Amino acid sequence: MAKELPGYGTINVPKDREVPFGAVTPAPVCTQDLFQTSNWRMKRPVKEDEKCTRCLVCYMSCPDACWEYKEAEDEMYWIANFCKGCQICIQECPTGALTAAPELDFPDGVVRLEKPF
Amino acid sequence: MAKEQMMTGCRAAAEGAKAAEVEVICSYPIRPYTAIMMELSKMVANGELNAEFVHGEGEHAQVSVVLGACASGARAFTGSSGVGVTYAMEVYSPMAGGRYPAQMSIADRTLDPPGDFGSEHTDAMSTRDQGWLLGWACSPQEVYDNTLIAYRVGEDHRVMLPQMVCQDGYFISHIPDKVTLGDQSQVKEFLPPYRPIGPLSTTHPVSHGPQIRPDQGAPMDAMRAQTFLAVPKVIEEATADFNRIFGRNYDPFVEQYKLEDAEIAFFIQGAHANTCRSSVDRLRSQGVKAGMARLRWVRPWPTHQLANALGHVKAVGVIETSTSYGGAMRGGNLIHELRASLYDLDERPLVTSFMGGLGGETIWPKDFDYMAKVLLQAVKEKKIRTYVQWLGM
Repeated sequence: MAKELPGYGTINVPKDREVPFGAVTPAPVCTQDLFQTSNWRMKRPVKEDEKCTRCLVCYMSCPDACWEYKEAEDEMYWIANFCKGCQICIQECPTGALTAAPELDFPDGVVRLEKPF
Repeated sequence: MAKEQMMTGCRAAAEGAKAAEVEVICSYPIRPYTAIMMELSKMVANGELNAEFVHGEGEHAQVSVVLGACASGARAFTGSSGVGVTYAMEVYSPMAGGRYPAQMSIADRTLDPPGDFGSEHTDAMSTRDQGWLLGWACSPQEVYDNTLIAYRVGEDHRVMLPQMVCQDGYFISHIPDKVTLGDQSQVKEFLPPYRPIGPLSTTHPVSHGPQIRPDQGAPMDAMRAQTFLAVPKVIEEATADFNRIFGRNYDPFVEQYKLEDAEIAFFIQGAHANTCRSSVDRLRSQGVKAGMARLRWVRPWPTHQLANALGHVKAVGVIETSTSYGGAMRGGNLIHELRASLYDLDERPLVTSFMGGLGGETIWPKDFDYMAKVLLQAVKEKKIRTYVQWLGM
């Protein structure tokens, strides 16, 4: 062939934009900061601690592992960066300790953020 | 040394999966590929193959099951035909994006409507933009061989992509031909064990398929595209090793038959290449300098290899065994990609296309004679009259 044909070029993904291979990350997903899923949350669960019996139903029912039991403090801890606001925990809580509060009610509410993350 | 046996393409695919010692198989019936699963279920039932055999509730489930199996660390195998291939469409991109190198064995079948059992490549060709490795065999022997080659390429850590190993329904899947199976020492030398990137582990648990942000979408796409730049070299290495270990003679990307001095050439993939090859011989005995280029991989598309193989030919007839209604040439898809591959040559061949082998029809020797006549006429007139012709229509 007389002429050299064009090549496919190269692709250089900037280091700060690289995504883990196949998006496989340490589990549960809320233990890392890369893939946060809270930016479309409209309401968040607010806990009334006196009513909470630490039964772990919220922990069991959360599809994104956003409830954690902190043994030292004997407290249920909510992981804000990953909670999508699905409210399953609120529906499932047997003692009514959780209620849904609009994001607009909070200074750090995701609807108020200039950048989603 | 392994001996030659007569077997169908379906049996050959099952023998390939068995030789690869697949660990999870997921089935759902649709002819003609079903015979692959019939063979594999017998092998599992008879204790010849130690694999988990799962019957899915549909093709979407089939691909989802092998995705999970592959993620957890098993070499996984599934397959389908026709509308089964398209029913699983949603799962193809996550499968490739999540980098799960499972294999799907396809015995082509025409898509509906209404039901037609015949072979046609539109089913698997429709998936070509989903990020899988994709290619066609033209004999039961090549089905067996491609099963092993595709696992080796797909599971390579420079690649990590799922593979579709395709064969024409009935023409290959159900007509027995001579196949030499490798012995286990050859397979062991060729195909290393599958090493997953995040296998099931209680000490290092991982999450698969998390939600990513819009600004992470472009880098993910770019990284997948980057992988495809690396795939050709891996295919070349794997094919060279396969040829050496199993004593075959495959060109990694394009079978080139009597192309060196060809004036006209057929560009084809799959089963009808066999009739094409004998038609090239017959045409040559009549003084026509014909040749054939047979595509072995659609993804990655071998752009430069095709420009090299076909650049000197005066006219190329693309034999489309799939449809692309309303496409640039109003026929199939191969002509689009071939013309694009030849575009930058100083002198490029005339390229036209023929719609043949659709709905399971045979492409007969007389059809190749007709196509040769059209190509010779184009050479004489220095132009093609139409982008596409439907054989017999």
